[in-house]
Amino acid sequence: MLPTRRDVLRSTLPLGAMAALHQFAGAKPDHAPKAKRAIQISLVGGMSHIDSFDHRPELTKRHGKPLGNDTKPDVFFGQVGLLRKPDWEFKQRGKSGLWVSELFPRIATVADELTVINSMTADSANHTPALFVQNSGFQFNGYPALGSWLSYGLGSEADDLPAFVVLPDGRGEANGAASNWSNGFLPAQHQGVVFRGGDSPVRDLFPEKAIPAGEEKDSRATLEKLNQMHLERSGSEGALAARMQSYALAAKMQLAVPAVADLSKEPAKLKTQYGFDDPKTADCGKRCLLARRLLEKGVRFVQVYSGGPIAGSPRMSWDAHENVKENHGAEAARIDQPIAALLQDLKQKDMLKDTLVIFTTEFGRTPFAQSAGNVVGTGRDHNKYGFSCWLAGAGCKPGVAFGATDEIGWKVAEHPVAWYDFHATVLHLLGIDHEKLTYYHNGIKRRLTNVHGEVVKGVLS
Amino acid sequence: MIRSVACAALVLLVSPLVAAPPDFDKQIAPVLASRCLDCHSGSKPKGKLDLSHKAGASAAIVAGKPANSALWERVAAGEMPPKKPLSEAERKLLKEWIESGAKWGSDPIDPFRFTTSTRAGYDWWALQPIKRPPVPVSREPKASDPANPIDKFVVAKLSDKGLSLSPEADRRTLIRRVYFDLIGLPPTPNEVDAFVKDKAPDAYETVVDKLLASPHHGERWARHWLDVVRYGETDGFERNTPRQNSWHYRDWVIRAINADMPYDEFARLQLAGDVLKPNDPDAVKATGFLVAGVHNTVLGNDQMRAVARQDELEDIVGGVGQTFLGLTANCARCHDHKFDPISQTDFYRLASALGGVGFGERAIPEAKASVEIAKLAKELEAVAKELAALEEPARKAVLAEKGMGKVAADTPSPVAAWDFRKSGDDLIGKLHTRAVGGAKFTADGATLDGKTGLFRTPAMSFDLNTKTLEAWVKLDTLTQRGGGVISVQTPDGATFDAIVFGENEPARWMAGSNGFVRYKSFGGTEEKDAAKEHTHFAITYSADGTITGYRNGEPYGKGYASKGLVAFKAEKAVVVFGCRHEPAGGNKMLAGTVSIARLYDKALSLEEVRASFKSSGGFVTDVELTAKLTAEQRTTRTAIRKQHDAIARQLGTLTQRTTSTKAYANVPLPPGVTRFLARGDLATPGAVIAPAGLAAVTGPKADFELKPDAPDVDRRRELAKWIAAPNNPLFSRVIVNRVWHYHFGVGIVETPNDLGFNGGRPSHPELLDWLASEFASCKYSLKALHKLIVTSATYRQASAPRKEASAIDADNRLLWRYKPHRLEGEAVRDAMLSVSGLLNVEVGGKGFSDYKIRDFNGTAYFDPFDPIGPEFHRRSVYRFTPRGANQGLLDTLDCPDPAAAAPRRATTTTPLQALSLWNNGFALRAADAFAVRVAKDAEGAGNQVRRAWQLAYQRDPTADEAKLTTKLVTDHGLKALCRVLFNSNEFVTVE
Repeated sequence: MLPTRRDVLRSTLPLGAMAALHQFAGAKPDHAPKAKRAIQISLVGGMSHIDSFDHRPELTKRHGKPLGNDTKPDVFFGQVGLLRKPDWEFKQRGKSGLWVSELFPRIATVADELTVINSMTADSANHTPALFVQNSGFQFNGYPALGSWLSYGLGSEADDLPAFVVLPDGRGEANGAASNWSNGFLPAQHQGVVFRGGDSPVRDLFPEKAIPAGEEKDSRATLEKLNQMHLERSGSEGALAARMQSYALAAKMQLAVPAVADLSKEPAKLKTQYGFDDPKTADCGKRCLLARRLLEKGVRFVQVYSGGPIAGSPRMSWDAHENVKENHGAEAARIDQPIAALLQDLKQKDMLKDTLVIFTTEFGRTPFAQSAGNVVGTGRDHNKYGFSCWLAGAGCKPGVAFGATDEIGWKVAEHPVAWYDFHATVLHLLGIDHEKLTYYHNGIKRRLTNVHGEVVKGVLS
Repeated sequence: MIRSVACAALVLLVSPLVAAPPDFDKQIAPVLASRCLDCHSGSKPKGKLDLSHKAGASAAIVAGKPANSALWERVAAGEMPPKKPLSEAERKLLKEWIESGAKWGSDPIDPFRFTTSTRAGYDWWALQPIKRPPVPVSREPKASDPANPIDKFVVAKLSDKGLSLSPEADRRTLIRRVYFDLIGLPPTPNEVDAFVKDKAPDAYETVVDKLLASPHHGERWARHWLDVVRYGETDGFERNTPRQNSWHYRDWVIRAINADMPYDEFARLQLAGDVLKPNDPDAVKATGFLVAGVHNTVLGNDQMRAVARQDELEDIVGGVGQTFLGLTANCARCHDHKFDPISQTDFYRLASALGGVGFGERAIPEAKASVEIAKLAKELEAVAKELAALEEPARKAVLAEKGMGKVAADTPSPVAAWDFRKSGDDLIGKLHTRAVGGAKFTADGATLDGKTGLFRTPAMSFDLNTKTLEAWVKLDTLTQRGGGVISVQTPDGATFDAIVFGENEPARWMAGSNGFVRYKSFGGTEEKDAAKEHTHFAITYSADGTITGYRNGEPYGKGYASKGLVAFKAEKAVVVFGCRHEPAGGNKMLAGTVSIARLYDKALSLEEVRASFKSSGGFVTDVELTAKLTAEQRTTRTAIRKQHDAIARQLGTLTQRTTSTKAYANVPLPPGVTRFLARGDLATPGAVIAPAGLAAVTGPKADFELKPDAPDVDRRRELAKWIAAPNNPLFSRVIVNRVWHYHFGVGIVETPNDLGFNGGRPSHPELLDWLASEFASCKYSLKALHKLIVTSATYRQASAPRKEASAIDADNRLLWRYKPHRLEGEAVRDAMLSVSGLLNVEVGGKGFSDYKIRDFNGTAYFDPFDPIGPEFHRRSVYRFTPRGANQGLLDTLDCPDPAAAAPRRATTTTPLQALSLWNNGFALRAADAFAVRVAKDAEGAGNQVRRAWQLAYQRDPTADEAKLTTKLVTDHGLKALCRVLFNSNEFVTVE
């Protein structure tokens, strides 16, 4: 059973909460879940589908031709150049023959594990609202992220680690920062927790200036005893006992967090596979390996970002307005090897069977160049009408491409998948009926999928 | 369960009505409305069957013959409704109704008419007029019975269940409770002592009066209000720009609460203060309410703009409806409200009433100064006319000689001018340019490569205050983002004003300035031609800080009030072309060609810009003009100019002073035409909608009698009047419930922003109405309401759990005790500051920030840190509150992100919260300060422990506690004890 309305109302009452990271941990899912945990690789800025996973030979044929009679596209910068062929060659990969371009040569080696959706559509072609929709289903700030909903719905399997961990790009947080992993109106324990480098991977895990061990130990013991005396005087209020328990759990976290974040004991060969040795791949590689360790220890959802802030030059995201070849080439080189290594590692550890891997971007890019109308420019604008994401692992039909854009990759032609369908599918794979995972807020039983959403059956195994 | 409270209509539905056929309006219509019409009505009813009116329904109904009626067939077969079949009773009714002749009633069916099992109708409890209920009389009156009417209502309910109130809490507990509740700070040991010893019968009332009169009361209760209105100090979305002047609204709320402003006035000013009292600075600040929410400033193309505005209006309608009416009218944007009797048209009526709300900063009016300003402006105009009359003949003569006789007479005179097609020389004075980097002169003008090229002048020999920048430019691409055309800057480039292309919004012109401080979007149209032909753009900077853009001689979007003028000093400013500001590089560089450019020392009028655009080069230099004047004329001209400059300076100083105080508040927009949008989609506009209230609310007339094109002032005045009308039943019910919620932790209705179907049901409906009625009769005094509540025996009860009561009412909905609760994050922080002696009690004014604000290419990021110093030790209500930031300590203690309204806060207990209170830099620093204070106040471990107890817990330690903690102090020092106390349950809990 999912949390009932009554639980939810009660959870917001003063001192009504349980002392746990995970209020609803252990709650039984609606149906047998295929996936027990998930990891999302979130590409910020808009990855070009027609240069990566959506093979559109007609686009190559029509390179240099105008888009055609369509009404003038309402793209972000309003510039519609001539059609531009992909900058990378597409090849059929593995046993499945799935098309993957040379933009991702390493991911291509695990193509047989991928379930590509080539018919994604987005509500917005504006970065931050689009990223918010990808994360929370709404274009506004203030709605809970997918990871928060999973934390609320399923809790974590570990009581000494948060259920939802976020690993931002080493170059900075995406626009919107913590709004992207906000618990919104869900209780605070469902917020995404950022793991950073260093001795204190989680904020306030330890004091900035170390406190002598003896003092720390005696202080804790005194706190415990004082609280115990108070508890007895005040008539054994449950919430007060819960607060005492939270300090015990905090002490466990102080051990568990540095242990899980310590990558030093992982085999050297594995680290090389993840790309630790190359400055280009080291940032993403370390985060991918950390993500696997977190999942292994029972964290429910890890979000790994590829791309930092949108603005600026040179770009630090996939927002290839100026030059797709340069930009996507450089961005892909940072993540291709680490992500391929992650999939192989999960498989090797037999975790891929119950781990869902999600590879997303907030929207795609236009098949025509972003340039004057008579020119094949080098950049591409935002495209919300059609783009690609992929899933891998638990419950997904491997080695297939689902849905299709039109012959040049401009708009979806078959099986459109909106974000709420995508979210419904992810929840389904984790054993949750998206219509039943609700939380009352300001007059509405809120859902990740708002009032929409259908599970995309075609991608399920 | 809340939902199990049966509704009247349901009772009717299942009552056996012997012999009489079912009543259509009361029994059949509600079933059809709640179970069928979601699909079978509207413009495209499913299966082309429209059951909302008689003609449509007749296709599926054969009177008297259920077996031949498709409606009954499908229902009987269990096929319809598809998801959840009708109940046995509902089916029986339907069949009987068809059998008895299927007599139709009101046509079409009004789905809102009656409350059903799935939704609220016009008869919904919260929408009904408030009738003051009689105060219950005790069944067995005793002398000891509490006199407060609240208690009579509460005791009556408790007695029904065989329960009673708990005894009064001890004095120390009570004073701690009421201090935190009314001012958000703990009492000092002396205050506790005085109260414990005060034997006067009204000792408690005296404390309450003192607290309500304290300036800290406003700080405490303003924080609650700011939660409700989702007050945040950044825009949200991509850029999340800080609102440096939004605190005026926060301060206004604090002052209004401290002054006990009647709640109806409090509401009206927030909705329409600028309309009701345009010259009252406080009334203008109050409208910060309307723009407290998020605001998207990165909008892309026109279609995206229009959608964003619709989203914004939904948010504003949501804020207004939930705050003052407890209704979620925002839910009816795309379809009729699923649960409350609010139609989609109702939503657009409210959206129309609020259609003129705009986000931004506005000057705070100062009545005296504005009279003076108007007088000076008039004088200036007269002198300028005099000057023009003197110069005109000479100007005409010069132009005639130059063969430009057609040049309009009012072509203004620049202080510097360049025609780069000929050279880089200043045609007026000495600001001759020099090419730098990849910049060169061509026949087309000054050509800039967008990478390293720029043109720079030497330092200006004159001061430049008001000004106009003007240039003709052709761009290499329309996709470039941020290149400067002409920029006046300090030589290091740290301060600048520039014509910039595309930086904040693609393909749009803007007034660039250091750190965007004088930037706002002009809201102009997308540039489409500047890559094809030389395009004229000018920006004027007026004395009052107004910045206006012009393209090809016509206004570009809308001018706006900036933070005020920059005064560039002689020798401390240069002009650069092709670079937003130095140092050169990055997106600051323009790729394009500047042909002509001019700089003026005044803000040109529209007519002057037009004339200048038309003349495109036909100006007269000062030297040429002077040469044409007689000696006498020259003397007169010098005198007039002197007079002109003196007035202008005076005017400039005055306007700068009066406009330098800006508040983030409502900046009205032309409301435009509001249309009904089918499914909320701009692509399917419907009828034009006039501003109005909600028809379902009984009492005030929802029709504002306004035309759809009524001006903003009328719209919001009428809306404010309607909302705060004495006979609007929601207005008082919502606020008294809110106030109750904060005093007891749970409202009489447990969902303070939602008194609709999805919200809670009142635990004490009569008490709620009695309070609402009492509140209105006490002239909407919030302080009177607080006093009434906190002096009740219900509020003053002890908090200890009682087994027999818990067994009957575990949630304490009937109020058999005062339920203990954890302090909110802000109160924990404030209590730590207060107990440690660090608290800076300064009330009001600009706040402080415990974030480092990092600007990254126009996007703000907020990195938490622990700043040290008294200005940072103010109460938490003065903290800068960005959206989408995470402060650590306060966030783990459930302080909500102001991205969304938080009418009630969650109270969670988590290990992250424990870690944060135990290890956070601020918490440890406060503990250290607490230790220093205790050491100063008392000597010896035993005395110090007692002092620490008095400060933190407002009591003395027990012998066991003293023994335990004296050892900790002896072994590890006072700071270890102080850290423990701040983390203890007793410190963070109000009992």
